[in-house]
Amino acid sequence: MKKDILAIFAIVLIIAVIINGTEIQSVEEYYLTHIDDITPESETVTISIRCDAVLDNYDDLDENLRSEEFVPPDGEILPPTEYVLRDGDSVFDILDRAVRHDRIQMEYQGADKNKFGSVYIQGINYLYEFSCGPLSGWLYKVNGQFPNYGCSEYEPKDGDVIEWVYTCDLGKDAGCGWLQGRQGE
Amino acid sequence: MFKKLIAAALAALFAAQVAISAYAYDGDIMTIADGIVAWKTADNGSEDMLINDSFLEQAGSTAGDWYPIGLSRLGYEDNYGGYLAVVTDCVEERYAQPGKLSAAKATEWHRISLSVLAAGGDPTCLGEDENGEPIDLIRDGVYDRGKTAPLGRQGINGWIWGLIALDSLRYEVPEDAFYQRDDIITEILSRQLADGGFALTGDTADPDMTAMAVQALAPYYNSEKVYGYSLSQSGEEKRCTVRECVDKAVECLSQLQLGTGDLMSWGTENSESVCQVIVALCCLGIDPFSDERFIKNGNTLMDGLMKYHMEDGGFVHSFVYDPQNPQAQPDVSNTMSGEQALYALAAVYRQKNSMRTLYDFRPEQSEELKSHIKTLSENIEDLSENAGEKEIISLLEDYFSIEPDERSYVYNYAKLYDLAKDKGIDTDGAEKSTEIIFAQDNTPSAQSEEFTEEDKAKADSLPQQLTGEYYVSVTSLLDKLENSPDFEGKEKYLEKLKKAREEISRIRAEVESINNEITDKLYPFEDMGLSDRKTVENIVKRCEKLSDYDRGQIKRYEDVIKTQTKLDNRLRGIIIGCCLGAAAAALAVATIFRIRKRRARAENEMEQLAAMYKDEE
Repeated sequence: MKKDILAIFAIVLIIAVIINGTEIQSVEEYYLTHIDDITPESETVTISIRCDAVLDNYDDLDENLRSEEFVPPDGEILPPTEYVLRDGDSVFDILDRAVRHDRIQMEYQGADKNKFGSVYIQGINYLYEFSCGPLSGWLYKVNGQFPNYGCSEYEPKDGDVIEWVYTCDLGKDAGCGWLQGRQGE
Repeated sequence: MFKKLIAAALAALFAAQVAISAYAYDGDIMTIADGIVAWKTADNGSEDMLINDSFLEQAGSTAGDWYPIGLSRLGYEDNYGGYLAVVTDCVEERYAQPGKLSAAKATEWHRISLSVLAAGGDPTCLGEDENGEPIDLIRDGVYDRGKTAPLGRQGINGWIWGLIALDSLRYEVPEDAFYQRDDIITEILSRQLADGGFALTGDTADPDMTAMAVQALAPYYNSEKVYGYSLSQSGEEKRCTVRECVDKAVECLSQLQLGTGDLMSWGTENSESVCQVIVALCCLGIDPFSDERFIKNGNTLMDGLMKYHMEDGGFVHSFVYDPQNPQAQPDVSNTMSGEQALYALAAVYRQKNSMRTLYDFRPEQSEELKSHIKTLSENIEDLSENAGEKEIISLLEDYFSIEPDERSYVYNYAKLYDLAKDKGIDTDGAEKSTEIIFAQDNTPSAQSEEFTEEDKAKADSLPQQLTGEYYVSVTSLLDKLENSPDFEGKEKYLEKLKKAREEISRIRAEVESINNEITDKLYPFEDMGLSDRKTVENIVKRCEKLSDYDRGQIKRYEDVIKTQTKLDNRLRGIIIGCCLGAAAAALAVATIFRIRKRRARAENEMEQLAAMYKDEE
């Protein structure tokens, strides 16, 4: 008698636990909430953020930034991380998603606020343009190449590897052949 | 036949050449300037003024600050009041942030100082900081900049533009300042390269940076002060006057000029380098279109500039693709090229009309002083090598009778000085014994603009439900109204606009606070649990209260919706789970009850059966 009751309650409990763990969603809701889930079919890109050049030019670094909090000892601010490539994503969108996700500080100038018609990244992890000498700032590579247009203009493809690197020498220390930005004001 | 073709082509080329060279006249300068203004005005989507609301969104940025300078220095009427109101507000907002205008770029202070002056404002008293103190861009961005970060953190341009900003009204530097004027001059001089030029990086001259250095040093061209410094490139000890350094830099610029009249910067022939050289020469009083050092193959700097002139009135950056300026297309007029051409034309226009140089914002010289300088300059020009001592001393006295800060406008003083030296004349003595007669009153005149019917109509048409979209127009209207002469109903408008301004400030603060809350609380997405549901719901509620325009200012709003959906789904799952659980439990209880009942009935029947058998027995 008692055994029956116990067995039935055990079954009820199991059902409750199973239902509890399942999200009951419409198709739209499913797509919305799983847009960034990586599945074998999803198109993805990899993004990383590094500041190795600062380590080589530590003497030029703004004194207020000389701390492991801003400059990790291995130069790695964000290890290579895979992100789903949404339709129409630019390199800027991916960066924005990554720094939001990993809670990394980032400041940028909107495309309408400069003469290049593209978003310009001023600082990541409190490292800003000119924080480490007059020729320092952020650059990005896609598959090892430095694209010569703004990060909000560049739409990466499936499998692309995006690397944000801090340069202290207008890109030369990062292997950039051409020099970014016109001088002067 | 072939020869004829060539001859025809040459003739055409020659004709074009002559036509282009004729541009060095005032009228044509204004025609070209008109073209740039018309092009940029249309580019802003405006029908009358270049500085419209959409342009003002960029006030305080490189894209928004140079056009007001070019316009104002050419004497165009435009919406300077609007510009001043918005840029003041923008500076106040940025001053509340830790790096203020920028953590590393001092040129932010310099550019805004110049554009504020051009718009008729005062960069030493521009709005208020958080403590209610007036903001002084010249102090914070130039002579006391070193208290925050070195003026040259971003490179030599920090020093150059710092000096240009400091001399825009010949600002006095307090004794206890971080940098004295001479410190900044020395920093620039010490960065001169072996070829006489200047560059942001490397050891060969860049025309833009060389020209900018000349622009900054030009006010000191007549100074005999010898600066001692060691060159940063070679470490070599130097003792030079500004004049010696500037002469080398000008020679270097002449060397850099191409046969087509323009120059090449960072490997690309472009329009902006010509503009910078034109401005530099004008600062020294050199006519950029007739000085033989700057005519190559018969081409002047103007020919070099006009190469880049477009049919729509604007200018292009370069006709070849430039990887450093990838957004500048070789066949479309470009904002930066247009603004630099505009202020280069302003420099020429001002030179032709004996006005102050481009970045000298002091009130124009009195007619008396102008004519004195003109006569003196002509006399120096006519001075022959065997001029007598008396004549030279008399001219020196004419020179030293001018107030020191105005002497830089005697552009050919160097010739007089050299002759005096040759004759062994004591120029210092001449200076000491001469009384200053030509002093200049440089107090800027206060002006107040009327609040027009058009402005009233604009204020009247503001909607009941304000949004951040009206920020620019309300800010500029209110500023204009506050500074306007009294009129009937002013109080009413003041009240309305102040209220509107407050409401818009509130909305903008709300948008910023929501944006911060989102970055702060909603990431990473996977870690969001049911306990965060209230936070998300709260954010969504606040966003829904905003107008469509303001909601558009919320960054990554889709992430908020995504988080909300995810948490809602999870909650719904739990509710459904609980309901199903409860139903299952009820069912179980019912089942047990029925089983019991059935058993009881079965027992009952058994008992009855047993009783029946008992009876039969």
